Amino acid sequence: MAEIIQEQMGIYDKLQILSDAAKYDVACTSSGVDRQGDGTGMGNCQKAGICHSFSADGRCISLLKILFTNECIYDCKYCVNRSSNDVVRTSFTPDEICTLTMEFYRRNYIEGLFLSSGILKSPNYTMELIYAALYKLRHECNFQGYIHVKAIPGAAQELIQRVGFLADRMSVNLELPTAESLRLLAPHKNRKNILAPMRLVQQKMEDNKQEIVLYKNAPRFVPAGQSTQMIIGATPETDYQILSVAESLYKKFELKRVFYSAFVAVNEDSALPARTGEGPPLLREHRLYQADWLLRFYRFEAGELLNEKSPNFNIFLDPKCDWALKHLEYFPVEVNRADYNTLLRVPGIGCKSASRIVKARRMGTLQFEDLKKMGVVLKRALYFLTCNGKMMYRTKIEEDYIMRNLLNTKEKLPDSVLGMTFKQLSLFDDMTPGQAILR
Amino acid sequence: MKQVYICHDTITGIFSAIYDAWKENRDGDSGIALRGVIIPQLFCEYIEVEETVQKSVAVERLIKKNLGYNAYWDLYHALLSDDCERADAVYHTMLEARKVKDSKKIMEHLSNPHVAKVFELSRKVANEAHFFTEFIRFRELENGVMLSEITPKGQVLTCIADHFTNRFPLEHWMVYDKTHRVFLVHQAKKNWVLVQGEILDTEAAGRISETEEEFAELWKGFCKSISIEERENLNLQRNHLPIRFRQNMTEF
Ligand code: SF4
Repeated sequence: MAEIIQEQMGIYDKLQILSDAAKYDVACTSSGVDRQGDGTGMGNCQKAGICHSFSADGRCISLLKILFTNECIYDCKYCVNRSSNDVVRTSFTPDEICTLTMEFYRRNYIEGLFLSSGILKSPNYTMELIYAALYKLRHECNFQGYIHVKAIPGAAQELIQRVGFLADRMSVNLELPTAESLRLLAPHKNRKNILAPMRLVQQKMEDNKQEIVLYKNAPRFVPAGQSTQMIIGATPETDYQILSVAESLYKKFELKRVFYSAFVAVNEDSALPARTGEGPPLLREHRLYQADWLLRFYRFEAGELLNEKSPNFNIFLDPKCDWALKHLEYFPVEVNRADYNTLLRVPGIGCKSASRIVKARRMGTLQFEDLKKMGVVLKRALYFLTCNGKMMYRTKIEEDYIMRNLLNTKEKLPDSVLGMTFKQLSLFDDMTPGQAILR
Repeated sequence: MKQVYICHDTITGIFSAIYDAWKENRDGDSGIALRGVIIPQLFCEYIEVEETVQKSVAVERLIKKNLGYNAYWDLYHALLSDDCERADAVYHTMLEARKVKDSKKIMEHLSNPHVAKVFELSRKVANEAHFFTEFIRFRELENGVMLSEITPKGQVLTCIADHFTNRFPLEHWMVYDKTHRVFLVHQAKKNWVLVQGEILDTEAAGRISETEEEFAELWKGFCKSISIEERENLNLQRNHLPIRFRQNMTEF
């Protein structure tokens, strides 16, 4: 193991190294908990979260996102800090973490701390260090801002519990969608060790709810819930597999969020996809976030959006349009009668507009003009709707025809996926619908 | 002939003008204009307003009582904006509220252009204030006071005061609004106050504490190293963090 440990490194260099090593963690949100300061320390939390800056990649900076250490004994193939890499190693002390957090927070640079870590010596040893840092921050510095902390797989339950009472959010990274991929790319980790702390956090949160009912001042355990993330594109899983995993995490572990992180090639390794010069699969990541949204807010199931036969998202159409085109038998639906769930499934109608429609039609029959005011995107919805039995224009209800028209209206892709080249798009050629042409 | 009441560009000024206009002319043709930004019109009579705290308090009470607290919130925030017709829009919204069935629901009457304007302005100020809870940067001065300077369009200080007071109860801190030359001052363990009519002593404001530079450098370094090069996207960064906010931010 090539290792350069520098004992006397200054805090500036440590911060450079340990933030650089933490940047691949996508979650930076400070949301999920409302807490007023009690006047004896520093900090508070706002439910919606607060961003404080944006880095050059356009991602929000809300938390001081750092690793405790990159002196890691594990050798995950995709990670810069893997033990077989020849990189400068260092660790913070709990005091340094407290100073950085408090001084950054005081200047309104950040909303709190996001503390992750490599495995120094052992999972328990690492978790103890994390506990020591958070304890100091909460009880000596009296910090009342947001803390997101990683639970280290393999650490003792009792330790994870203690840490959970100091944090607002906890996450355990699933890392890769399947146990098989995990075995290949993260030989020291296993699925069981990852799911065990997730289950523990879920149960503790449940117990804590009871405690709070009984004793109003009982300490809170992870009040902002838990999340996880997986790397997309390092291993051969289909979108269908990935989305199904996410779905079961939401259902079985009651996660607040599942994050998807487009694979960034930092190591050369025969077990990893070859570096292509095309950059991370950002469009694929975007489609997964769209589908994730459909699971959480639109009452879709993974198995409706994708299946074994067509296991990947359409690169040209967002998952909802794609679903609707494959299920034309459900359409058109009548705006003045369809129930809320059915309306939700119409492309161009969102959660807000669907509930506005349901409310407004009690007062009278709706026309197409009214829909526009309610935020319905008619150029997409018009193929799937009738108002009083009439379609907006005469249109064929036919997959190819609608697809051509929808492609003409151009989906507005967010800036985060623009900047992608056509070459990248054509990577997904196998899921290109029949005659669609990129315009 | 239309009666136009002229007042200073302050909440007390505008509320005093509303007081006079309401009292003397609410059934006639009247309006309110801010001193210094009026474009004189023909066939208008201009009336100077005597501005007093009593009038201002009376109008505040009138609005809260008749239009409710939520509408007051919108009217007040609209007045903090930098639109030169905001006083008139607020006054006419109050007049409109007399005509509708339930005055407390006045802000739902968005088809009235004055109400729509008040609504829009209040949104704008609230949004801008929210930006400042995100983007304000403090620096530590030699005497331990945390100082921030901002250049907002609207007068956002009162909108962000509670947020920072709750957040930093034990600190002495101060936010200086360079546009409107107003200070928001917070002394440790006390409530905040607004201070007007003072000028920032730039020499004293430049005397930063011994460790200030170091933390600023640490932060700048962090903002760079946390970005993923392979995902670089300056457009996206600009959409989220408009250039105009960056002038007072440590990391830019
Ligand atoms: S455990 Fe794996 S992913 Fe985490 S720091 Fe170590 S090598 Fe990297």
